[in-house]
Amino acid sequence: MSAQETPSSPRPVSGPLQRLWSGALPEVLSAGCVAVLLAAVGALYLLTDLAWEAAAPGRGLPDALRWRWGLVTVGAVLLIAFLYRRLRRQARPLAAVQRNLEQLAAGVERDLATLALSDALGQVAQGWNRLIGQLGEAQRQLRTLSAGPTPENVLARFESAGFRRVLDRLPFGVLCVDARHALRYANGAAAVWLGRPAGELIGLPAAQVLDNEAVRQALLAVRTRASTLSVDHTQQDGEHETTLRFRVLPPADGAPGGDVLVTIEDIGALRETERARDHFLYHVTHELRTPLTNIAAYAETLTKPEFEDEQTRKECYNVIVSETRRLSRLVEDILSISQLEVGTARLNPGEVDLARLLRQMVQDNLGAADDKQIDLTLTLPPKVPKLRGDKQKLSVLVNNLVGNALKYTPRGGQVQVVLDVTEQAVRIVVRDNGIGISPADQARVFEKFYRAADDAVQSVTGTGLGLAIAREVARLHGGDITLTSVPQQGSTFTVELPLTTGESAEVARG
Amino acid sequence: MSRILVAEDDPHILRLISLWLTRQGHTVVEARNGIAARELVQAEPVDVLVCDVNMPGLDGLSLIEGLRSTTHVRRGVVVLTNRWDHGDLRERLAAEGIQVLPKPFSPTRLSEVVAALLAAVPVEPGGREPGPT
Repeated sequence: MSAQETPSSPRPVSGPLQRLWSGALPEVLSAGCVAVLLAAVGALYLLTDLAWEAAAPGRGLPDALRWRWGLVTVGAVLLIAFLYRRLRRQARPLAAVQRNLEQLAAGVERDLATLALSDALGQVAQGWNRLIGQLGEAQRQLRTLSAGPTPENVLARFESAGFRRVLDRLPFGVLCVDARHALRYANGAAAVWLGRPAGELIGLPAAQVLDNEAVRQALLAVRTRASTLSVDHTQQDGEHETTLRFRVLPPADGAPGGDVLVTIEDIGALRETERARDHFLYHVTHELRTPLTNIAAYAETLTKPEFEDEQTRKECYNVIVSETRRLSRLVEDILSISQLEVGTARLNPGEVDLARLLRQMVQDNLGAADDKQIDLTLTLPPKVPKLRGDKQKLSVLVNNLVGNALKYTPRGGQVQVVLDVTEQAVRIVVRDNGIGISPADQARVFEKFYRAADDAVQSVTGTGLGLAIAREVARLHGGDITLTSVPQQGSTFTVELPLTTGESAEVARG
Repeated sequence: MSRILVAEDDPHILRLISLWLTRQGHTVVEARNGIAARELVQAEPVDVLVCDVNMPGLDGLSLIEGLRSTTHVRRGVVVLTNRWDHGDLRERLAAEGIQVLPKPFSPTRLSEVVAALLAAVPVEPGGREPGPT
């Protein structure tokens, strides 16, 4: 391996004199040694000379030699002074580096740049500075690595990105509990549920803030688990009852010393929905069982020899047929109301010729009216505007109201269907002079499966869903149904449908 | 001939039970709700009461409760129900010797249960003779 091949070190200072001038340590030290030696020898020589001269005048050195040695000594002393100044200048940054190193060792945070040496110190300084540079780079990389997705880093980033505001707008509470069981973070909703400003919550012991033993237990237990724990907590605030669901999430990466995340959710609405669903299911099964019971029992009757007479058999067949119809109507109604309520029912909007629709519905119900000798009439205004809506669903609405009126109107009664038109809306009025609805029942007739308790109503078969469906259809069209009724005198159902719904600005003209 | 009260709000079921029990030679009294049933049974005792649970006005269980300490029902009670928790109901009422038939029910089975109640020896010591008094 030749000398050329070795990587040449940087050489900012070239000649030895230049290096000496700039104070490079080896040169200064060598020159210093020479200067000290010369000064010492010169001074010794001159002192000896002075001693000889004093003891025996004329026995000292010759004048020329004395002058020369004097100059050498003075020059050497000057050189020492110069070199000392040079050295002092170099030592100052070294002293600073030493101070910073000591502080760094004592744990005081210092920027690595304070440890850099001036280039004038030559290769040692360059090597040292390179080392510092590499150390700084390693430190930066380490910081980036440790800034992984630990909660505090995430939150710190959220803070900087304005995400904390996003967390504050969430409809559920978010808490962050650290390894010392102190609250590290609480978003806006959590602060509301816990009844204190978020600023006051930070740093408080979690056990002090969360006054539910089960939640506190979950906070401890979750550290050794991989799964989320859930606790429901009901609190009474005066008459108002709130049920909160606390979900306690284990620390990220399963580290038992990590931060535990807690979410808080108001499940009151959820509970209400569950209750409503149970109620609905209960009624559905109850309602389905009734026709099913009839069909099964009458079919069984048909198989028995003791019921062979023509009249009984005919009665059985009739009940089976009518109850099968009732069952299928019930299934259809249940599907309709479910779709309407869940919102999966979509309006299939188009131009609806209301006059034609009403004529058709009255026509369809004439048979039932004739059976009870009820006078079913339709009154239309001279001009009927075209309505934007779902023809099929509006037909169901009208049919349910007319069918209802016929059912609860005694033999020989009257049912009138009237269409009223105003600038903004159409009004379909279905009026009967039937059994009427008591004030207590009026408020509830639109509820699903609600049927008034009196005999006159109970003796008529019905699903208890017709009016609920009718109202949902009216509301889907941006309208509603109102009811006025006097028991034993009759009822009037009024459907009001706006001519312009929010959905379509397109208005059909009459 | 025994006297049987059927309390049931569904007209078809009421008619059917009435049809079956009449064919078996019983006298059947019909009630469309609990209140009417109570009035009928108080006016004249019956041998067996067949009643629905869900009825307007006065439900079947309240009707039975009100009649428990009386001697208006001489031989026994059969409860028809379409309640989903009929298992619990059956257990609870079995202690009182009340039969529970969940709907849909078999009219043949109902006839058998009624016949069994009528054939059994009266529980009450020195119980009255079956039949209208």
